[in-house]
Amino acid sequence: MGIHSVGTSDAALVRRVHAGDTGAYADLVARYRDRLGRYALHMLGNREDAEEVLQDSFVRAYRSLARCDDPERFGAWLYGILVNRCRTAGARAARRARRFVHDPVALETAPLAGPDGRTEWDDMVRWALARLPSESREAFLLKHVEELEYEDMARLTGAGVSALKMRVKRAREQLQAMLKEAERV
Amino acid sequence: MTRAFSRSALPLLAAMLVARRAAGQQPDPRLERLDAATRPAVAALVDSARRALLPTEPLVQRALEGATKRASGDLIVAAVRRFAAELGQARDALGSTASSAELTAGAAALRAGASPTILAQLRQARREALTMPLAVLADLVASGVPVDSAAAAVLALAARARDADLVEFRRAVERDIALGAPPAAATAAAATAADLRVNAGARQQRPGRP
Amino acid sequence: MFDQSEDAVERLARHLRRAVRINPALDERVMRAITALPAPGRTTWLGEVWRWLKRPHQLTLTPLGGLAAAAAVAVVVVLTRMDSRPPAPPEEDSRAFQFALVAPHATRVSLVGDFNDWDATRTPMRQTGTEALWTVVVPLVPGRYHYAFFVDDSRWLADPSAPVARDEDYGAPSSVLTVGGGGS
Repeated sequence: MGIHSVGTSDAALVRRVHAGDTGAYADLVARYRDRLGRYALHMLGNREDAEEVLQDSFVRAYRSLARCDDPERFGAWLYGILVNRCRTAGARAARRARRFVHDPVALETAPLAGPDGRTEWDDMVRWALARLPSESREAFLLKHVEELEYEDMARLTGAGVSALKMRVKRAREQLQAMLKEAERV
Repeated sequence: MTRAFSRSALPLLAAMLVARRAAGQQPDPRLERLDAATRPAVAALVDSARRALLPTEPLVQRALEGATKRASGDLIVAAVRRFAAELGQARDALGSTASSAELTAGAAALRAGASPTILAQLRQARREALTMPLAVLADLVASGVPVDSAAAAVLALAARARDADLVEFRRAVERDIALGAPPAAATAAAATAADLRVNAGARQQRPGRP
Repeated sequence: MFDQSEDAVERLARHLRRAVRINPALDERVMRAITALPAPGRTTWLGEVWRWLKRPHQLTLTPLGGLAAAAAVAVVVVLTRMDSRPPAPPEEDSRAFQFALVAPHATRVSLVGDFNDWDATRTPMRQTGTEALWTVVVPLVPGRYHYAFFVDDSRWLADPSAPVARDEDYGAPSSVLTVGGGGS
């Protein structure tokens, strides 16, 4: 699976947490924070929701750490919790009135960046992703951004491999159509 | 079990009903941006529109526009009242199934001087959404085209033109007016050109015809 | 064969794969939250109670009691739907519109209109390139929108490339954008 740990293994850190060393959990959080944060941010579309879901996922993972059957695959197991929390948060957000929110995410330097680091392309990407149905967005992100194998995606999402392939294909087609679509007033 | 459940359920149900009704009568929190004197008047107008099954979001936005532009309370109340009346007239002309987008565009057309009869004729002429034809009618009049000329042109195009055709038609009229053409003449010329384009497009979609 | 649309999707994916930096303060919030929790793997009396609650128990509910319970839930659900706020527009109906203004001497421009509650802080525009062209992309559902540009927190400008809102109530210039569709 495309989730790697460096230094002390995830399994070793998990064993230390079980032994009472809560501080070891801080190492796991630091290790996965940005990687999982990327998925949450792209899935939910704004930093505030992403951080809330990320924090919630880490706390839930700690609470249910005894149910992590294979500590070597802690990252993948944590990922599954995050994917589910994003689904719940996404459903909640869809019921709120939509707002175009200023999101001060500082990405790496891009050409034609404005004073706050955002570009017109950032807006287009965020808009295009937001227009995908959440299932398609989830599948596209897991395949093409998180670069997971379909078998791993099936374990995370509970969907079959064929269904996931279809969702990714549809997402690509919809994104192709949308990226041609932005109109000038 | 039943008696015990009923004893606790009925007061609870009553409490939920009272709380929910009170919540439903709360004004839109965005209206907090209005001053204390203006807020109840605007809230009452919005509430009245809601009871009449008119869209309320355009009214709230009109009030918020006034707040942002630091208009006086009287001006804001007058603007919202006027808009609510126009939405009602648009609904009378377009029918109770008209969407919020159609009613807002219809209100703009009425304010521009189109008669309710023209709105009703557009409803008869076109199966698709009326948002764009009504908006183009309002925009043409805003550009100086006499309302009769604008209405005649839009009515002629409404049956077959797509939204994109209507937008292109409006742009052509505005371009010609900017170049000095009399508005009515610019409208007639652009309508003829648009009609030709629309008919040509319709012919292309029919396979097998010479 | 060069396929521009395929390239755009790959470009989008590459953009999304770029590293995201989450504020490390999140770590501290997580650790604060978990210090109140028992260490994973140990059980508490609360855990035992929770496990008892989760186990199925037999309840006797007569038909009338069941109906009363269902009716109470149904009334709350129906009343909850009677909200004064508009429902969130379905994502599939919205289209992207790019707003642009040339303002070489401006230091700050925001887009303000019916689609963002006329809140001048909500949709700042960005300068692109060196031409002092300010732009922003906004998703919009069918409807007719008044809007204007608010320049340097002091001046209202209509959009020179759009119809003027002649049904202007407040004296300051506004423009109109109509997004088609939204039929009954």
